[in-house]
Amino acid sequence: MIQLDNVSKSFEGTQVLKNINLTINQGEVVTLIGPSGAGKTTLLRLLNWLEVPDSGRITVGEVTIDASKYSKHDVRRLRGQSSMVFQHYNLFKNKTVLENVTESLVIVSKLKQKEAEEKAEALLKKVGMGDKLHDYPANLSGGQQQRVGIARALAVDPKVMLFDEPTSALDPEWVGEILHLIKQIAAQGMTMILVSHEMRFVRSVASRIIFLEHGELVEDSNPKDLFENSKSVRTQAFLQKLTYEEV
Amino acid sequence: MGKIFDPVFMIQSFPEILKALPITLFIAFVSAVIGLVIAFIVSFIRYSNIRILSPIAKAYISFIRGTPDLVQIMLVYYGIPLFLKAINEKFGTAFDVNGVPSIAFAIIALAINAGAYMSETMRSSLLAVDSGQLEACYSVNMTRLQALWRVIIPQAIGIAIPPLSNTLISLIKATSLVFTISIIDLMAQAKIVGSRSFRFFEIYVVVSIIYWVICAVVAFALSKVEVHAKRYERKVDQ
Ligand SMILES: Nc1ncnc2c1ncn2[C@@H]1O[C@H](COP(=O)(O)OP(=O)(O)OP(=O)(O)O)[C@@H](O)[C@H]1O
Ligand SMILES: [Mg+2]
Repeated sequence: MIQLDNVSKSFEGTQVLKNINLTINQGEVVTLIGPSGAGKTTLLRLLNWLEVPDSGRITVGEVTIDASKYSKHDVRRLRGQSSMVFQHYNLFKNKTVLENVTESLVIVSKLKQKEAEEKAEALLKKVGMGDKLHDYPANLSGGQQQRVGIARALAVDPKVMLFDEPTSALDPEWVGEILHLIKQIAAQGMTMILVSHEMRFVRSVASRIIFLEHGELVEDSNPKDLFENSKSVRTQAFLQKLTYEEV
Repeated sequence: MGKIFDPVFMIQSFPEILKALPITLFIAFVSAVIGLVIAFIVSFIRYSNIRILSPIAKAYISFIRGTPDLVQIMLVYYGIPLFLKAINEKFGTAFDVNGVPSIAFAIIALAINAGAYMSETMRSSLLAVDSGQLEACYSVNMTRLQALWRVIIPQAIGIAIPPLSNTLISLIKATSLVFTISIIDLMAQAKIVGSRSFRFFEIYVVVSIIYWVICAVVAFALSKVEVHAKRYERKVDQ
């Protein structure tokens, strides 16, 4: 479903991802954890080709791209396989809630306006935004904006959804309901890769957890093993620090 | 000469001077439109950092900013005929330099001038729209052009209107320089009427009022457009 073969990425001479090899199967809910600067966001963005790898091969769904040779067309096909939910929502500020979701349906999927609106409305109802269709993002709370962000990402019928700290910009009061929503989507069998610092949530939603540090996959395991008897000293150190902070 | 200041004469000269208003408005309007087109292209070149063209665009903007408007008008007025002459000699064509009306030189000069200022405004407005939205467009598989056209540019317009309005007002005021290349605009008309009566001060009061009104109307109209362009922004009283 998703595969990274020898993927590396540097910024300004610093290697942020070091020769990553990773396979993710359909239906898995994979959570990336790790300290700040570990490369979690970069890894996620590579899958959506928002960052271009220096070398290696990336497969998402049915599309494989080699960093050494690819066309614009390949990029569009790859992007068509996944969609991203952003930390800062990144809603189109000049579009209403409904338009945020119909935009790609009309422009990319070439649906008729009416069909697009019906589909968007159904999705927005599903995420609990059915009563705000004609509001602009600026008039919504963070939690409401993120719901729209999720609906927008669902609209393209992605094979994989990518979430980059979807709740970390939210006021605490909204965090729970967004996590609940993500859990619902996971329960429906969506393949997901999620970066999150909400350890309790990670533990309950993930089928697999990957600990990333200094651009390397340090540990890759199921939640129970990772949290209760991690084999890596580095993972243990990271988790320990978190526990102190959570107290 | 009786009175020091003759308000009756002043009011009576309004119609005479206003005869030249259409010329001033025409020059301002046409140069603004052409300037906008230039600015749109140049800002896109700079925003997308297109190779070779981007440094040229930068030099153009720097030159326009660093030279007086009047000098630019002179460069165009004397430069284009030379240019046409050179083309005629080289290619055996027969462009008639004398057939080009002065007003065309004025429009070209002012459009090039306004285009430079407006392109900087547009570029910084494009950059002011947060790039996260561009990424969101990519994420749902829109192309760069679709993203710019449907999401980024509409927001940049709202941001750009106040500074564009300033440039437009500068442009309107700069049209008062075109009398130097023998165009009968408001300013030239004022000189004509003034020299007949020797009541120059009254005449220039009239002229200043006319410019003031035009600029105020333009500023007001654009502030209304701005409100419309930013209709999606947070409403405070809700
Ligand atoms: N566009 C960029 N230009 C330069 N350096 C970058 C860029 N994006 C990321 N980096 C650097 O790459 C490293 C990894 O960044 P990344 O955002 O992937 O980390 P992260 O694991 O998501 O961290 P956090 O938990 O803080 O979000 C960091 O050192 C960061 O400074
Ligand atoms: Mg990050």
